[in-house]
Parts: sequence; structure tokens; C-alpha cells
Amino acid sequence: MRQDQSDGGARRAVFSPVDSRARVDTVVRRLGDAIELGLLADGEQLPGESALAGRLGVSTVTLREALMALRQQGLLITRRGRGGGSFVSLPELPAEDRLKTRLRGWSTEELRDLGDHWAALSGAAARLAAQRTEPEDLRQLCRTAEELRRAEDAPARSRLYGRFHVELAAAAQSARLTREQLALQGELGALLCLVLADDTCREEVADRQREVISAVQDGAHETAGTLAERCVRESTARLVAVRLAL
Amino acid sequence: MGVSPGLAALGTEPEPWVAAQIGGALEAVFEAVAATRADTAALLTRAATEGRRPASADLAALRPGLHRRLVRDELVSGVGFVAAPGLLADVPAWLEWWQCGADSGVRPLLLDLDPGRSAYSDYTHWDWFALPRDTGRRAVAGPYVDYLCSDEYSLTLSEPVYLQGEFAGVAAADVYLRHFEAAVLPLLRRLARPAHLVNARGRVAASADPAHLAGSLTKGPDFGELLVGESRIGVHEGMRLVPCRGIPLVLVLA
Repeated sequence: MRQDQSDGGARRAVFSPVDSRARVDTVVRRLGDAIELGLLADGEQLPGESALAGRLGVSTVTLREALMALRQQGLLITRRGRGGGSFVSLPELPAEDRLKTRLRGWSTEELRDLGDHWAALSGAAARLAAQRTEPEDLRQLCRTAEELRRAEDAPARSRLYGRFHVELAAAAQSARLTREQLALQGELGALLCLVLADDTCREEVADRQREVISAVQDGAHETAGTLAERCVRESTARLVAVRLAL
Repeated sequence: MGVSPGLAALGTEPEPWVAAQIGGALEAVFEAVAATRADTAALLTRAATEGRRPASADLAALRPGLHRRLVRDELVSGVGFVAAPGLLADVPAWLEWWQCGADSGVRPLLLDLDPGRSAYSDYTHWDWFALPRDTGRRAVAGPYVDYLCSDEYSLTLSEPVYLQGEFAGVAAADVYLRHFEAAVLPLLRRLARPAHLVNARGRVAASADPAHLAGSLTKGPDFGELLVGESRIGVHEGMRLVPCRGIPLVLVLA
């Protein structure tokens, strides 16, 4: 009996809904990023609640909470009645301010953890790629690094940055690392606009990418891994600095 | 050196026989590619004789054939036609691409091909597109991680499609590596020595040899050179190298 009493709180936690808050946050981020990146256009109507909940694999209760949060952020409006539903609505604020609002939803601890995950993926991918790559595999990475050097606007830069890491995982010949990297870039992509808008940072990233490519090409797997991790850590550190300045 | 068919040859020349069987498995996939190429060429020509440029809606006529090939050929997990940019009147780029779904059904691949939104909108640099375009011949691309269409480790077999002598795109089929391995492993295991298969660049496509796993590189021999030669058996530092005739894969015996 004593056991039961002292464990009461823990037992309650066992039977509480699984990660419901995290699910709401995930849906808010996913849809918010899609709107931010222009994947969902201004004025576009979202699918109906039950259809959308089904596609995202969450309950309608979770979805409604997420839609409410997006309405509060001004990214959605809801019209009632015939022809009603949820519509994407880009607020008047400049994109950078909207992204900063989104970044406020992340704690520095979460950003640090995301950076650790990203560094683990990209470091492992670079090490394997250095062992498994022959020159033909590097053409795509080189092309991406070149395009990043020339990319003008922040969303294009962030898409190319993400593509570099996906291509690195593919060069490692690992479908699993590639899928994880794609999922991670989906979470992170929009936020990286905030650091890549800065030309100095863009130059630094492009240089780091060149260094990673060279090490992979030379088959220097430890160096390649360390450089890929450093590239990711520097970007994450810049993002944390932006978050702390908010 | 002739290839003797059937089990009778197994006692005397198992290696060329196994290489021929593996080639045969992929020839069956190439038949699906060739049928798609023929259907596509026919409908593109039809539009041209009507004096108009083809449109994406025309390609819907390919679907019954694509669905049939997906259901019929166990190795084929994706099949379709990928248009050369600028071919179609209504869209800048297009993939009429169908895949096996999780529930044994078939589903279309829907990609965002808008360069303003997707970093993956340009597909013309992938080997399965560039090789047939640049050589005019059929090609086997991979093994590679296909993060455009399936997120699977795959081989893609493709052939160029022409309209009035001009390159119009490629007909292609995807074979997931795990399915390919299931098909060829029983053959590799018949051999007395540890065996694996590599592509022209030495990348392992399937293996019964724990020292050479799929995705790694077998370094040393010039496999490309061996494949453009007369399909003769080669030897390199104790390894026997047997080309699969007609297919750019080499059987390597430790």
C-alpha cells in the first residue's frame, strides 16, 4: 500500500496520454514551417479536420489544439459555414520576424539537443561516405556547395544547406541515415533561414562544405566526420545565439 | 566461352551460369522498361501527328500498362516515364511514376517540382536520367539511396525515349536492393567460393560474402573496362571476375 501511495504520481503519469503536448507542438511546427517555407501558399485551404488528423496520424483533439495555436500565431484563419474551413494566412510581418516568433517556441536545450542529433547524423554520414565514395558520388555535393555560394535569398540557402546533408547521407550509402536527415531538415529548415540570411555565415558554411567534400574525396574519414560535425555545431551555435537575443 | 543453360552446366561451369541467371533476372525488369518506352513513344508520336505538343494529361494513358507491370514483376517496385524538361506543353517537368503501395496497391508519386519551393526539383543529373540521355543506351544506375522517389536503397534500370529522333526523356523501373538480394542470393550461394556482385564502379550490389557487403566498394580491378570488353572472365589478385552478359554487373569470387 505504501508503495502505491509513494508511486502515485508516477503511476498517474503512466496512464496519462502519450506525449500529447509534444504531438501538438510537432503539428504546430510542421504546419508552421510549411507555411513559412511556402509549401502551403497564402490563402490555401487545409484539408478537413478529420482528413488532416488522419494524414498526420494524430487525434482530432490534438489537431484542433494545434490549429488553435496556429491561429494565435496568425498563420491560419478559420471561416465558418458553407465553403468554410482553415485557410493559410501569411501575416503582414516580415518573414524574419515571423521566424523569430517561431524560434521562440524552441528552448535552447531543445536546440542544443537537435544540434547534437544533427551532428551525430552528419558526422557518421561523412565518415561512412569517405570509406564508400568514389569521385562520381561527389558531383552532387559539389554542385550543392556551388549553388549555395550563389544563392541570394535565405529560403533558397536553407534548402541547399539541407540538401547538402541529405546528399552526404546518400553518399554514405545509408537509406536510414538519409531518411533521418530528411526528417531532421524538415524540422529545422525554416529556422536556418535566420542564420543563413547573413552573408558571412553563408560563406563560412560554404567553406566548411568544401572542406568536408575534400576530406571525403581523400578518404580521410575521421577528418571528414570531425569537419561535418563542426559545420553543424557552428550553425546550431549561431541559431542558439539568435534565440538568446530574442 | 559459351554459356551453357540449365543445371547440367552446374558441375562444370557454375560461375558463367550464375552470372547468366542474374543477368536474366534484370533482363525481365528491362522488359518492363522497354514496354514502357514503347507505350510512351507511341503516345508521344500520336500527339505529334495531331500537330500538337504532348501534355501531362496524355501520359495518363500509360497507367494501365504501368500498373500491370508493377503487379506482375516481383522485382519492380516503381515504374514510369520521366519527361525531359520542356517536352510537355503544360508543365516544365514531369514524372509519370507509379510505385507499389504498402497495402499491395499501386500509388502515384507526387513530387513538388517547383524550383522556388523544392531543392530536389531538378532530376536531370541523376544517373538514371543522365546515362541514357548521354549514351543513347539503356543503363543500370546504382545501387544508390533514392531520396527523390522512394527513400530506398535501389537499382534503377532505364532506357532513353525518343520523339522524332530527339531525346524526350527516360522510361525506367526501380528495383529495391533488398528485393534484388532476395532474388540473387540463392544463386550466389550455389558457388563454392564467397561471391558478390559489383557495378561498373566497383560498388557492391548484392553479396554472399561477409567481407564485401552491399554499398561498400571493391577496390582494385577496373570493372568498367571488363564490362566494355568481350565479356571474358578476368583475374585480379586471386579474385575471379565474371561479367554478367548484357548487364553492367560483375560477379566477383574471393
